[in-house]
Amino acid sequence: MRATEKEWTVTTDHTPRLYALAGSILGLFLAWAGIAAHPWQTTSSATPRSAALETYTRRLNADAALVAALTGRRSAAPSVRVVTLPPLTTTRTS
Amino acid sequence: MTRHAFTAMGTEIELLLEAEDLSLFAEVEAEFRRLETILSRFRSDSELEQLNEASEGCVGPELLEVIELAVEARAWSGGRFDPTVCNAVVAAGYDRSFELLHDTGSRAAPSPARTSGAVKIDRTTGHVAVEPGYRIDLGGIAKGWAADRALAVLATAGPALVNAGGDVAAAGRVWPIAVRAGSGEITLGLEHGGLATSGRDRRTWVRSGEARHHLIDPATGLPAESDVVTVTVAAGSASEAEVLAKTLFLAGDSQRVLDEAELAEIPTVLSNSAGEVLLAGGLR
Repeated sequence: MRATEKEWTVTTDHTPRLYALAGSILGLFLAWAGIAAHPWQTTSSATPRSAALETYTRRLNADAALVAALTGRRSAAPSVRVVTLPPLTTTRTS
Repeated sequence: MTRHAFTAMGTEIELLLEAEDLSLFAEVEAEFRRLETILSRFRSDSELEQLNEASEGCVGPELLEVIELAVEARAWSGGRFDPTVCNAVVAAGYDRSFELLHDTGSRAAPSPARTSGAVKIDRTTGHVAVEPGYRIDLGGIAKGWAADRALAVLATAGPALVNAGGDVAAAGRVWPIAVRAGSGEITLGLEHGGLATSGRDRRTWVRSGEARHHLIDPATGLPAESDVVTVTVAAGSASEAEVLAKTLFLAGDSQRVLDEAELAEIPTVLSNSAGEVLLAGGLR
């Protein structure tokens, strides 16, 4: 009977250690997650970069729409090619 | 082939015709002079300037047609071609006919002017209303349109070409036309259609020690800045070529101009500040 009581006491002594171990692992995980998220970069470089990317995307979309409009709007195609004949007149900035 | 040249609309006009009957030359020359009295922004008595002074009014068929053409072009060019940039051009220093423009060294640098003003057109009554604070400048498109009109008259007699200060309309045969590009020239054979060039190699002046030019970017209200020096474009007509040349010139740097010309299949010759002459849109 005395031996059984002693074993029981020894067994209950492990519980705080397990809690401490679990708490340490959780704390370590939270610290890792916090560092891996690079919270110090979110306001300094990611925002201007994504804004620039968004501007670039908008401009590309606008240019693509313009090219489609130019292609659709044009009337009869001209007949033109590079030639080696002596020129009869000159085009220049009007 | 017979050549006839004269000055009108603030530039040199050249007519080439392969025909026996040359009486059409006089008719076309008279028509150019008449159109100048309607479409010029440098004549205070022109119909255009009277409209600009009043901001609205009923106009004649020619002015109505060109304003309508210009406003339509603004829509399909995504706003790069804009007939209401007049105040921005004036603010940049182009405030009189180019022959009268001198170095205005002591004057202030230009500040951005408003662009994209509203223009309301009533086709049935011929009434045009321009948003207060804006003026219309039909410059290049008016010359291209006049060249197209003149060609329609001359082509009834035979193969013909009209060159209105660089805006070319041609029909009836392969017309070899020199394009000034970089320090040299390239020759294009145009069988039918139009050619026009937009650039900052001419119509430039100095203001506050800085070179300025007349091509205003409607997005900024200031003379466009890029490495592009000239863009020459071929199209179905001279007026369309004029709009396309300006639209491509304002695309940005050389690569963007070439990309757009290639994708939209617009025959294009480009020269840039690196001295390169580049072809796109089917020209090889």
